[in-house]
Amino acid sequence: MKARYRKTIAGFLWVVASPIILYCIQSVVFRKFLKLDIPDYALFLLGGLLPWIFLSSTLEMCTPMFSTRSELLKSFKISPFVLILSQILDNFFNFLFAFIVLLIPLVFFRGRAEIGLLFLPFAMLQLLIGVTGFVSLFSLLQVFYKDVRFVIPFITNVFFFLTPIFYPIDVVPDELRIFIEINPFYMMIDPFRATLYFFDIHAFLPILLKGSLVSIIFAMSAWFYWRRKRNEFYLNL
Amino acid sequence: MNSTSTSECPLLLEVQNLHLSYDLNFFEHNSLRDSFVQLLSHPFKAITRPKSQLHVLKGISFNVSKGERIALIGVNGAGKTSLCRCIAGMTVPKYGEINAHGQVRAIFNPSIAILPDLTGRENAYILARLMFPEIQDDEIAELVTESVNFSGLGQFADTPFKTFSKGMQARLCLALITARPSDLMILDEAFDGADAAYQKKIAKRIQKVLEESGAIIMVSHSIDQIESTCNRVIILSESQIAFDGRLKEGVIFYQKLIQGMGDSDLYQQHHKQV
Repeated sequence: MKARYRKTIAGFLWVVASPIILYCIQSVVFRKFLKLDIPDYALFLLGGLLPWIFLSSTLEMCTPMFSTRSELLKSFKISPFVLILSQILDNFFNFLFAFIVLLIPLVFFRGRAEIGLLFLPFAMLQLLIGVTGFVSLFSLLQVFYKDVRFVIPFITNVFFFLTPIFYPIDVVPDELRIFIEINPFYMMIDPFRATLYFFDIHAFLPILLKGSLVSIIFAMSAWFYWRRKRNEFYLNL
Repeated sequence: MNSTSTSECPLLLEVQNLHLSYDLNFFEHNSLRDSFVQLLSHPFKAITRPKSQLHVLKGISFNVSKGERIALIGVNGAGKTSLCRCIAGMTVPKYGEINAHGQVRAIFNPSIAILPDLTGRENAYILARLMFPEIQDDEIAELVTESVNFSGLGQFADTPFKTFSKGMQARLCLALITARPSDLMILDEAFDGADAAYQKKIAKRIQKVLEESGAIIMVSHSIDQIESTCNRVIILSESQIAFDGRLKEGVIFYQKLIQGMGDSDLYQQHHKQV
């Protein structure tokens, strides 16, 4: 973190201010200009947009990391995942800070806190594991397939619209909803939103289970891929 | 093949029948267009093409005992770095066994920064945390201060690492890795970036660290460096051990090996160094 903010005037402030400003602008545009008829839209958007920014920015920052730090990885016996994990935790901390800054006034103005907030740590842990697995897998793939680095910005741009972040899944036509429900980004983000927005424990548990399952699948896929391609990884760096 | 091992000393490393190969398919990837054309023009060949393997190490076996300082030498591409990476646990052998009895620390390039924007001292701190995870924060701070002082960088230590010359970078990293005894230390051409004066200084430090610790495996092309530090030579040639024995015989064997290759340029190049 120290290296990231060195020689910057506002450093950490820029990184935290960016999602907050983006959230405020989207909140105004979708609610006031496009007049989306979604109750408590500020809270709804908070539960989707902030984890999405964390996920997409981490994916874009970490994917080329093994290639850009190849000299370091070849010079010392350092687990490559240490590099990835330090960046993920840095982004997670920023995400958490921005989230709390936005959540406090929202809860304050509503005059009540959702009981679902008690389940937030579970959703966050699931999101963290999911992002770590997903990012690790794509970072490894990038070492072998250089196309990945070009595909990632495209994926994040496209999936911003294909994932129910600023709109609810209910507005998607029934025949297309299955495609949204198998979207891994949605599965990872949905538990987070479920704790904030009209929390219902009976609905939350299956959502958390689905999110955890997809997170574990990504984490295990990354681990197995690493185990299988470890030697070639150093050769391709 | 001559073999030397101080059998009365405790074993620190056992390498048995080590084979290492790389899957080369990733290097043969063409574009989608090329692959499509190949599939259409030679469909049978494209489907039945065998998996390409690059055999880097074949049947490597040796032991390392406490007090041994091994020079691992061989021409470029002989498999020295691959063997060191395998011993360090960075890569995994296809067959064979590596049993390290103790901690293995390895450095493959000392002129590298963890985070180039941070100062030399800050980089040394992070590197120390990564290399010596078993020690406490206050001990790390002491270690870094001692290493920075030994490196002789003075006030440069508190300037960004990216402004350092290669030699300065090597000074700091070498000082750090040799600051603490290790059971087995692997130095792969680690001295090449440092100047002659510092190489002498660091050789004394290694000698001191060695007295307190286990063994060293050093990859180098410098005979001075090898003679001042090592007491055993392992020569790799064509992915196999061609010689394993005492220093003097090892150097002669290596010279003959290069002569035998019949490549006068190669010989001249190594004759200056070895």
